[in-house]
Formats: sequence, C-alpha cells, structure tokens
Amino acid sequence: MVSMTVNGKQREVRSSADTPLLYVLRNELEVASPQFGCGLAQCGACSVLLDGREIRSCVTPLSVAAGKEVTTVEGLAARWAKQKNLAAAQAENVLHPVQAAWIEEQTPLCGFCQNGMMIKATELLEKTAKPSDAEIKAAFTTSGPSAHLCRCGSYTAILEAVRHASVLMTKGALGESRTAPLKKDVRREPSRPGKGDST
Amino acid sequence: MNPVIETIDIHGAQLSRRGLLAGGGALVVGLGFLPDSAEAVPSGAALNPALLSSWIEIGADNTVLIRTGKSDFGQGTIYTAYRQIVAEELDLPFDAITRVVSADTDRTPDGGGTFGFLGDVNGDGMPNLRKVAAYTRQALLELAAQRLGVAKAQLSVTDGVVSGSGKHIRYGELVKDRNFRLTIPVKGSQTGFMGLAVEGNPPMKPVDAYKVIGKSFQNSAIVSKVTAKEMWVTNVKLPGMLHARMVHPATLGSTLVSAGQVDKAKFPNAQVIVKGNLVGVAAPDEWEAIQAARQVAAATKWSDWKGLPGQANLFHHLRNEADWRTATVTKGEKDKGDAASAMAGATKTFSAGYELPYMKHAPIGPTMALADVRPDGSVTVHTHTQNAQQLRSQIALMLGTDVNKVVVRTYAGAGHYGRSNGGNAGGEDEAVILSKQLGRPVRVQWMRADDLQWSTQSPAAYSDIKLGLDAGGKIVAYQADHYMPAMQDDRPIGAVLAGLPTPPAPDARNTLWDGWLYDTVPNLQERGHGTWQVGQKNSPLAVGLRDHAMRTPGQYQQNFPREAAISEAAALAGADAIQFRIDHAKDERLKDVLKRLREESGWQTRPAPNPRAAATGDVAVRGQGMSAMLRSGTYWACACQIAVTPASGAIVVEKVTVVVEPGIVVNPLQLKRQVEGGTMMGVSEALFEEVAFDQSGVSSRDWQSYPILKMADMPEVKVVLVHRPEVGTYGGGSEAANALASPAITAAFHDATGKPVRRLPLRPAYIKELLAA
Repeated sequence: MVSMTVNGKQREVRSSADTPLLYVLRNELEVASPQFGCGLAQCGACSVLLDGREIRSCVTPLSVAAGKEVTTVEGLAARWAKQKNLAAAQAENVLHPVQAAWIEEQTPLCGFCQNGMMIKATELLEKTAKPSDAEIKAAFTTSGPSAHLCRCGSYTAILEAVRHASVLMTKGALGESRTAPLKKDVRREPSRPGKGDST
Repeated sequence: MNPVIETIDIHGAQLSRRGLLAGGGALVVGLGFLPDSAEAVPSGAALNPALLSSWIEIGADNTVLIRTGKSDFGQGTIYTAYRQIVAEELDLPFDAITRVVSADTDRTPDGGGTFGFLGDVNGDGMPNLRKVAAYTRQALLELAAQRLGVAKAQLSVTDGVVSGSGKHIRYGELVKDRNFRLTIPVKGSQTGFMGLAVEGNPPMKPVDAYKVIGKSFQNSAIVSKVTAKEMWVTNVKLPGMLHARMVHPATLGSTLVSAGQVDKAKFPNAQVIVKGNLVGVAAPDEWEAIQAARQVAAATKWSDWKGLPGQANLFHHLRNEADWRTATVTKGEKDKGDAASAMAGATKTFSAGYELPYMKHAPIGPTMALADVRPDGSVTVHTHTQNAQQLRSQIALMLGTDVNKVVVRTYAGAGHYGRSNGGNAGGEDEAVILSKQLGRPVRVQWMRADDLQWSTQSPAAYSDIKLGLDAGGKIVAYQADHYMPAMQDDRPIGAVLAGLPTPPAPDARNTLWDGWLYDTVPNLQERGHGTWQVGQKNSPLAVGLRDHAMRTPGQYQQNFPREAAISEAAALAGADAIQFRIDHAKDERLKDVLKRLREESGWQTRPAPNPRAAATGDVAVRGQGMSAMLRSGTYWACACQIAVTPASGAIVVEKVTVVVEPGIVVNPLQLKRQVEGGTMMGVSEALFEEVAFDQSGVSSRDWQSYPILKMADMPEVKVVLVHRPEVGTYGGGSEAANALASPAITAAFHDATGKPVRRLPLRPAYIKELLAA
C-alpha cells in the first residue's frame, strides 16, 4: 500500500508501485481531471502538481508520489481557499482564480488539454505573481518536460486567461465572482452511462 | 390514452391536441416524414419513442428543452448559438432554454454530422432548430389565439408572454395540463451523412427585431470542463468493464502470421483476442492491459509489406504513377470562356505547381471508445463522435444486425476536426468486436502511436495553376487542375482488420471545393482530379494511407494553390495583392472584407516583393501576405506578417489579422474564440505539419515526429468580425480559419525574400535549402 495526499486528503492506494500515477488517479481514486494524451510526457494533458511542482502523471510511477501531496484541478479551489485561510463555508463557494479566469475568458474549445493548462498556470502564478507574456509563453513551452499542446489552438485565450488570473490573484480576490452564474449556467443534459440503457 | 381531438395546419406542420393531462403538460415538437422520404419513421427497441421524435419541448414552467443530433467538438454552438436561435424565434430570454440534449442516437431526432451547425451545409443558412423554433412559435400563437379569443395577427410575444387586445398568457399556461404535439415535415435519412433536414418555410422572425442573437453569451459547457465536473468519454465506466489495447499490424498491408501469447506469469489477468487480422489485449486493470499489450505486440508476427512510395517520393508518385483516370474529372461551377485560347493570347503568363503534404487530425487525446454488446444482441457504444447516427449504422452493418439494436452515446472528448464525420475515430468498432468476443463491456484506448499511425489523415494534394495577364495587368485566363486522392474513408479500421462488412471504399472523385471568387476574370477553367488512396490497391488490407475530412476538407487543398497563385500573379502584374483582388471581384461582400483587411491589418499597399527583400543573410527580413475564401456562406480575408531569417530558414509568424463576415454574427465572443483557434491551427499546419511515412506505413508516432504549434510560436491574432444582418443567414465560423494562414504566409515569404515557396510545411531545413538553391 502506498500512501499519499490527494487534494488535501490522505489516500491509501492498492495499485502496484510501478503504475503511472495517471491510472491510479483516474481508475482507483476517481480523480478524473488528468487526461491521457500521449503516455510519453510530450503534451501535458495529464499534468498534476506534486508538492506544488507540475509533473506528468502519465510517466510518473506511483512510488514517486508516495508520501507526497498531489493536487489536481478537482483540488484547485480548496488549495486557493487554504492559501487564503478562508472559512469552510466560504471555501465551498470559491473557485481558484485560474478557474474563474478560464471561465470568464471562455478559454477552452474542446477543453481536453485544459486540465494541464490550468495546472501549469497555477504553478506559474504561485511562483511568479505577475508574469510577462514572455514568461507565460516560456512556462507553457519550455519550463517542463515538453510544451503543453493544444490542438484547438486556444493559446490566445490561455494567454489572456493567465493575465486575468494574475490580476485576480494579486488583488486577493476570493475567486467568488463566478459562483452564482456558475450554478445557473450548467444547463446541459450530458450523456450518462446507464441512463436509458435497459429497455 | 387521450384521443386526438383536433388537428390544425401550421404552415405545413400539423398541430394536434390531446385531452387533459393530470399535471405537467407540454408542446412536443416532433418530426413527420415527407412522402418521398428515404426511410420509414425510425423505431426500435433501443429507442425511447416518447423522446425520439422531439426537437423542442416547451414546459409548463415556460422553460424549453432542445435536442440536436450534432455533437460538440469545442465549437460551443450547441450551448450558445442554438440556444440563442431558439430563444430568438420563440421570443424567450436566452436562459429559458434550460436543457440541451445532443448526439445520443436514442435521445435526439435528426442525426447529421458535427459540421454546418448554422445550416450552411443546406446552402440556406437555416439550421434545423431555427425552422423548428419558427414552426413552434406559429403553433403557440395559434393556441394563444384560441385561448384568448384574439386573432393571431393581433398577437405579439415578449419573453414568452403572448399579448393581444389587452389580454396576456404565458407559453407555459398554454400547454399546462395539456398535451400538444406538433409534427413538422422533414426529409433525408437519419443515419445518413447529412441526417434529416427540416422542410418548409415557416415565417421567421425579422432580423431587425433580434434581441438575443448578436450577444456574447457564455458557453455553458465550459464551466463543467474547468471545474472537473465534465463527463468526458474517458471517464465513462461500466460494471465488469475490461481495459483493452490494440496490437495493430506492423504495416498498412500486413496480415497476421501468428499472434503472441500473454506471459501469464507477469500478466495473470490479461488475455489476447484475435479476429482475422485484428489483435487486442484486454485486462481488468488498465496498466496490466498496457504492459501485456506491449509484450504481446513484441511476440506477434506479421507479414511484411512495402507498397507505399515513401514520403520522399510522394509527389513523384502522384504526378507520374497514380492513375488519375480512376475517377471522372469534375468541372468548376463558374467555368466560362475559353481559357486555353485566352492563355495563348496573354501578354504575360504564369504557371506553377503547388504541393500539400498529408496531415493528421491529431487530437490531444487519442481515440477511445467503450462498447457493451449484450447477449440479447443489443449494442451500446459510448464515444466521442461527430456523427453518432452514421456510426450507429456502420456498427450495425459490421455486425449484420438491425440498426435499431445499436445505440451510440456521445460524450465530451478531444476535438478531432473531421475524422469521425461519417467515418469512425478508430476505437468504436474495435471495442464492439472485443466486447462481443469477451461478453463484457470493453474500453479501447488507442495509444499515441496508434492514433498517428492507424487513424485517417488529411489527404496530400497537388495543383497545377496557369494564369494569363493582359497588357493592363488584369487576369484574362485562369486554369487550375487540382489532384487529390480519395477522401471520406468511412470504413472502420477494426472491421477492415477483422474482415467484417464495411461501407465501400471512398469515391475517388475530387470535388471542386473552393468557390471561385474573382468574377471579372473572363476565361476560367477549374478541374478536379481524383484517384484511389495511396497504397489502397496493392495492400492486402485494401487500405493504404486512409484519408478523411479534416477541418476545411478539400477546400484547404484547393484554396492554398489558388490564393498563393493569385498573390504571385499580383506580384507579376506589379500590383498590390489586396487591390489586385478587389479589382478582380464583383461581389460586394468580398470587396468589403478585402477593404476591411487593408484597414485593420497594418497593410502596406504596394506590390510584392518588399523593396528590402533578401534571400540571404542572418538578419531577419519581413514580409506581408494575404488570402481570401468563401466558405459556408462566410467571407474571409487574412493577412500575415512574418519574419524570415534566411541563414537558418527560421520563420516567425508575427501577426495574423482575420476579417470574418458570416452575415449575421450570432455570438461575437464565441466566434472570435473559434477564429483565433482556427487561425492558430492554420499557422501550425503551414509551419510544421507533415505526416512522415515510409514504404510500409506512417512513421509519425508521437509529438516529436508529428510536431504542432507550441505557445512560444504563437502569433498575435487579431480577429475582426463584420456583422451584416441584411444577409439574413448565419454563415459558418468554425472552419476556414485554419486554411487562411498557409497561402498568406507563403505570400509573405515571397514578399520578404523575393522567392516563391509552393509547398508546405515551411520547416527551417526546407526553407534553408530553398533559399540556397
């Protein structure tokens, strides 16, 4: 059994120690935001924060994460609430400023890569509160094992969202600005496995 | 059941009313097939008839549910423009459209692919939901007229409240405790490429009365994606599900000699499945499946095959060996005059060949599908597809079963830009075959190399263009011959490998996709030449380099040579590239976008090349170039400003300006984001993208061997939206943008260096070699 902290909670894991963290998160722990993109650390779709540093979960064995703290997009809001010492009641209604900016700038197109983009943005902004455009581009291109790739070409929207998130974070916003519309906006009836399958 | 008590004609639709209901109540808008329809009303055990035939439901609480057979690939149209269009026609606020159902074959009515969202594929700019909403509005007015005792013509609607002669009633009250059914006329085939199209001409709301269309509403799909609440296809799990990985053949023409065995000591729960040339490995644990598949792949033997020309010989093969008599030559719709004679009499002539490589759709997530084949013969496929109904028919064909046994559920996934438009993305049929063999739900996830090597590609193409100029520098003759192997390969690869039935190989004809723009040219001849896919005829698998539509399909391959040649002709005439196009245009919409491009892009009005052009040295030289296109009712113009360093061959695209005029702009913010993304993809295609292949198959296997644009390479993108409401229709916005950059960048290269470049991609090694030649 390997033990690690995932999004603030202590988790005991049964998967073998050589299993890439990606499959442990997605299949055993039901933490599904990191996506399989290449399995080669070449695209960034699977990125998570490991003790605050962006890593590629598709090539990181579970053993490397043992005893460490893993943060995924599911845990970004709580991470922000903790950094800002928000009360529990407040924390539940908060988005991480990166998430708020991603919504306000309408950044994702298909959105499949955006998990890794938001993780990379969080890592950047925690270290560099007011990055220049050159620093943002470098973060997403050369700072990690590979560039973070977006096939839809949302780079303009990502750049604008990082700038926006930087403003939200540095002015100490609670990230609550999108809370009300957030609840109202979810209007789709997405496919669910199982529903209507039996006739 | 309550009897039908009355039927009223609503502009060709039939409104029927049933008796009182206990609680609830709704107006359900369904479909009625025209007598000449291609198929009977869909039915079957897998379908819920109460939901199937319904596009729009108006609830007693004044909220609306809409359904569409199309799926979202990141365009957001279903969650923005479709809600706006329905709200607009019904005179409801945007937020009244509370529920959207899309692309599940048992829960949506019309089928069709994820293209032409705004009706442009019908050529009328009238998406199904616009007409459906217009019919619905008329039905609601009819009901209100009867309830209020006021003539229909005297009624008006504001925010879902019908008013007339001082009386008012909400839509919700009209349907409360009653059950109405509006049956509207449709034609087409639900499982066909285009799906069903709504017929008739219900009265539309005047464009000048629009309140909802034209505003930047947010895309409701984004919230769930950003907050990790999205149900991605990758997240779907079923009880008892097995994870599978495919062991694809060694080459595009290999047949199976012997399948490897699982090393049970290492992988005790894994198993190999073989059907014909299809080999898969499944296990309950995903990591075990991945490792076991690698071990089995190393132990599996395939026959050898070297039936491809290889990348270095591709254009020699296409020009000299491919049989272009395979298919009928297509001719341009606007052909006129006698181009050959006029060319002979021209003052100056220009002749050039242009070459475009194979490209990959290359979704960030490789294809993944989950299938559940039950003992009773029912099949459910969970996937991310652009044409769920057509996929359903392909799965039924493959299994030799009734289409009504098959349900396709569609989820969010990685955008793949055309690969499953009519075809499949790759994993669906394989998951079905494995699930049937194993008797359990099977999740097939392709690895990165599977996706690059076994998916379809955007076809390579070449074109020969000839132009004649008169003494005044005007084009007197234009001749284009466009050559492209067959596209639209709908054959599921798993079915091909397993030896199961598939749709036929694609028609080899090459459509003339790129509408001619320069109407003052007196002599015009355009021809489209098609042939089999490269390798198809000599592969034992009959596949070769499979092709399928990729964003702006076919038109990309024809617009690039045309616009590149027009820019070269302008230079030959000593004319500015934008003014040259304006001088050859008659269409005012085209002239307006060209003029707007000149104003918005920082364009220097002058002939190319730049007076400071240089083809040598290690100092960057700069150039400008532009392109134009008409696609799906939308006019586009694009300018690129680039820097070229001749010594290294490095090209930096510094700024791209795109002017877009779709007629009515439905949602400015969403359109802007689409155009930015498409533009970025276009720069990626121009600078980097080319499928590597040898004599046996595709050798691009990862993001190093198939590079795409990275953020550090991004240009500044300026999008200029031109709203032209008098056009009255909504043009497309998610395609075209990716095709504009290539000819604008090659023109800018000519401007910067004085040397033309006529093939893509513009990687440094090629540019360095070209400039040194």
